[in-house]
Amino acid sequence: MNYTFQFGVALQQLPGLLQGAIVTFELGLLTFWGGALIGLLGASLKTFGGPVLRRVAVAYVIFFTNTPALIQIYFLYYGLPDFGIRWDAFTCTLIGLTLNAGAYLTEIMRAGFISVHRHEMEAAETLGMSLWQQIRFVIVPHIAKTIYPALANFFVVILVMGTSVGAVIGVNELTGQAINISTENYRWIEMFVVVAGIYVVLTLIASLSLALVGRWAFRVKAKIF
Amino acid sequence: MLTEILHQMPRFFSGGHLLLLFQAMGMTLALTAIGCVTGFLVAFLLVLLRRSPGIWALPFKIAAILYVEIFRRIPFLVVTYLVLFFIQAFVSDASLFTIAVVAICIYAIAYTAEIIRGGLESVARQQVEAATAMNFSRWQTLMRVILPQAWAVILPPAVAFMVGFIKDTALVSQVGVFELTFRGKELNNEGFSGVLVFGTIALLYFAMSYPLSRCGGWLERRLASPRSQRSHQRLRPT
Repeated sequence: MNYTFQFGVALQQLPGLLQGAIVTFELGLLTFWGGALIGLLGASLKTFGGPVLRRVAVAYVIFFTNTPALIQIYFLYYGLPDFGIRWDAFTCTLIGLTLNAGAYLTEIMRAGFISVHRHEMEAAETLGMSLWQQIRFVIVPHIAKTIYPALANFFVVILVMGTSVGAVIGVNELTGQAINISTENYRWIEMFVVVAGIYVVLTLIASLSLALVGRWAFRVKAKIF
Repeated sequence: MLTEILHQMPRFFSGGHLLLLFQAMGMTLALTAIGCVTGFLVAFLLVLLRRSPGIWALPFKIAAILYVEIFRRIPFLVVTYLVLFFIQAFVSDASLFTIAVVAICIYAIAYTAEIIRGGLESVARQQVEAATAMNFSRWQTLMRVILPQAWAVILPPAVAFMVGFIKDTALVSQVGVFELTFRGKELNNEGFSGVLVFGTIALLYFAMSYPLSRCGGWLERRLASPRSQRSHQRLRPT
């Protein structure tokens, strides 16, 4: 079977795709920060909470890391209308992904919490550090060094694996835009090759800037490649 | 609303539907297993090619690095669509199952190649030098020195990747393979309540993923060297 590639048609649609890329980036950022807040709460409960709260956090993490993000989003999008709650596709994707990311970020943050040892805090106290100094010179460097590479990596994972799931229920992010435009011009292969290229560029920019920020702010040598 | 869900329940959990869902679970597991195991084997060959000495391996090296770097940055959904349309453009009678397996395989290669490379590189250089000094061939060095030590490093994350991929295969429902998510969508379209359908589907995914991930954790503890076991025993923070 013969197929003639026409990348010109796909490249003409670049403005539409870049709009989608902006939505992808927004969705990624919102999901990440929402997830980070949930993760902070979850990790605090898991480390410092009482027996009941700790179990709740553990159950949350186990449930959300063992079911697909797509099903969680479907549940919100197709399930909640049964109870009279109707959210649009973007809200459902955002909430679903945030809850999903929160579970993974709980585990990442907990690893950071555990990395601060008790005798290091005692040493800081012995040296007469104030609470602020303890946070600034002992707690933050430890936590940053342990979790910054994992966080940077997870942001890229959300940006790629996470946000594209929204396309399935019709969010106009990058993959969704590609599907929308392809159904009009039937240039599926070319469109998706271009979209794949945009994803590569987008995530390269993200990992590169995160690595630079990490090196500048926390003296963490995050992996770029 | 709850009464209607309760009303639908006997009809939803009828024998036919349950059989359908169990078959769909089997399909999900088969997709993951075939795709990931094939991907793992191909990735292993790729890594071996990449590590082979001499100038002729250079193109393989560059290709392997580019492959891993590019495919780890493209969403699985986009890879699936690309595979679907590429295969359909050139092979007219490819089954959807094949397409899904190829997509999973392409994705698994990119991830497991990194795991395998890390594992092989974890073996100390001196050991390879010692093997060379004792006149081991490259094959003997690999089979008798590197692999016995590296597989304990490779296997746990590779298993974790495969188990994690059970969830990601949900996206393959987009090309129309009859796996769990697709069946759930079908039942939802038949008029069953979304809460009921997708709640059940979520539990079924959980039933597949959780036991297997526990097995993976057990495997990791079992294989972990005494050195890395010590790092798990950290003090509680103040």
